[in-house]
Amino acid sequence: MSDRSLPRTGAGDDWLEALLDADGAEHRASYLDDDGFTARTMSSLPAPVTLPAWRRPALAALWAAAGVGIALALPGAVTDVAREVMRVMLGQPVSLTGIAAALVALGAMSWVGAAVALRDD
Amino acid sequence: MPEPPLTDAQLIARVLVHDDRHAFSELVRRYQSAIRATLRRLTAGNHALADDLAQETFMLAYRNLKSFRQEARFSTWLYRIATNAFLADARKRKEELLGDRDADVADADGGDDGQPESAGPDPTRASALRMDMDRALAVLSEGERAAIVHCYHNDLTHEEAAQVLNCPVGTVKTHILRAKVKLRSQLAAWATD
Repeated sequence: MSDRSLPRTGAGDDWLEALLDADGAEHRASYLDDDGFTARTMSSLPAPVTLPAWRRPALAALWAAAGVGIALALPGAVTDVAREVMRVMLGQPVSLTGIAAALVALGAMSWVGAAVALRDD
Repeated sequence: MPEPPLTDAQLIARVLVHDDRHAFSELVRRYQSAIRATLRRLTAGNHALADDLAQETFMLAYRNLKSFRQEARFSTWLYRIATNAFLADARKRKEELLGDRDADVADADGGDDGQPESAGPDPTRASALRMDMDRALAVLSEGERAAIVHCYHNDLTHEEAAQVLNCPVGTVKTHILRAKVKLRSQLAAWATD
């Protein structure tokens, strides 16, 4: 044992200490053959979580479809929100071309955000 | 030139980052002997139960690897999981275990009066000692047995054993003192050797 600071249990305790030391040394020196233990253990682990290869493009397509769907369902609202956002950001009225440019920029940012969110864990 | 073997920390990182099963199997291969041998001692020589608990230990280690903070050695962390698995199992089947142990001791006694066990026609002292020690360890409480096994067989310090057993260092020392009182009586036949 590494720490020898234990009080003794009796005057004739040396033989027990020696016995425990001898048994401990024999225990540490012996090596148990694997005998298939590692294979059995590995086969008992939960199956790895493998996501299908189509997950990423499918999720991206769903997000894109959702965006387009919202834009088509609420065209006025989308234009108004975009116009107000641009007005607040730039401090002046903007044209439809400006809004289109902003939407493209927002779309690009969304794609980057989606790419980051869908990266490998 | 062959590559040097990966360290435990490198293997653990591979498991955590890439769920690398090969890296984890290397960790199992590296520590299976120590963990199984320890559990054999803790279960007082019940090899089948020890292997079941060892398998459970590695499965729990795999599931909780993220919580291993590398403040202690990986082996110490595994010993802790193994000891917890053993103590939980012992609590669960205490009655059953005690019954089996009594039967084993009665069978093994075979009319001798505490003399060192004869393992065969020409037993080595080490194997006879191992058998008697297993029998003597079976008499201890689970806590006392765990303290003896970790401090003497696994060569842990009292502080490390306290970490493994999740108790104060003073409790480890108390367990060892009490265990030694019982072992003196159980192994009295070896006193004159």
